[in-house]
Amino acid sequence: MTDKDRDDMMLDALFAEARADTAAEPSPDFLAKVLGDAEAFQPTAPEVAPLPERSGFWRSVLAVLGGWPSVSGLAMAATAGVWIGVVGSTSLIEDGIGASLLSAGQDSFLSDLDTSYAFVVE
Amino acid sequence: MPYDTQADIPDDALLVLYANGDQSAARSLTLRLTPRVFSHAFRMLGDRAEAEDVAQEALIRLWKIAPEWRQGEAKVTTWLYRVVANLCTDRLRKGRGVGLDTIAEPEDDAKGPAQVMQDRARLDALQAALNTLPERQRQAVVLRHIEGLGNPEIAGILEISVEAVESLTARGKRMLAKALAGQKEALGYSDDG
Repeated sequence: MTDKDRDDMMLDALFAEARADTAAEPSPDFLAKVLGDAEAFQPTAPEVAPLPERSGFWRSVLAVLGGWPSVSGLAMAATAGVWIGVVGSTSLIEDGIGASLLSAGQDSFLSDLDTSYAFVVE
Repeated sequence: MPYDTQADIPDDALLVLYANGDQSAARSLTLRLTPRVFSHAFRMLGDRAEAEDVAQEALIRLWKIAPEWRQGEAKVTTWLYRVVANLCTDRLRKGRGVGLDTIAEPEDDAKGPAQVMQDRARLDALQAALNTLPERQRQAVVLRHIEGLGNPEIAGILEISVEAVESLTARGKRMLAKALAGQKEALGYSDDG
């Protein structure tokens, strides 16, 4: 065995002892200190601030009506009413029945709209 | 490691979890990295109190850089060992003495006092011999033979080639053997063996 082999064996044994040396292990107190740092420096998710409560006349009207779903229903009904009014009036006036309804002193019958309403007199 | 419940998660993924506010990642990283960082600093400085200062400082730097860490780009331990090596170098260059007296006595009831003293004497002798090495040689020897890292990783930490690492560790071992030559018998190693 050469001197170098003996030196290598000695150093390998010393390195193995050093690896198992408890003096090179951190103490529990030190681990706790490091964990404290880790928690102190840890980024936190930004908190979302609640939207400020707004007030006003239209907001209170909206609340009384039941919120946006109710208002949208009302808007739909109003739009449908206007559409029926416009389309219905022009078509009725055009075919003469509307004109007869609008003018006084003239009787109007359902049979004017559809002959199936008329009683057939034998 | 028994307390590391996220043992299967790589360091860099844990660091991303940490940056996202995951508290268990903070605990896992602390338990996983502190022993390595402290051990290396202790072997470089030979002093528990100084090793704690260096390890704490290195880990604080890691906690601070966590939000900017790009996963898969660098190895967390390589980065950390490099920071520790630089911090140790700074301290050693400030000319501080090595306080071998401050090395804690081991608490080992299984061995008799004489054996404990002999073991301690060997480890103290190794530490004293390590302290005689130039910083880079000491870093390379400690990382290779005590921390058990591979040469490519050591090359990354010291930012030198693998061949340079091999050269440093070989020269370091020769110098260690020379420093310990006069103490072989006292340490329980005989030239006859």
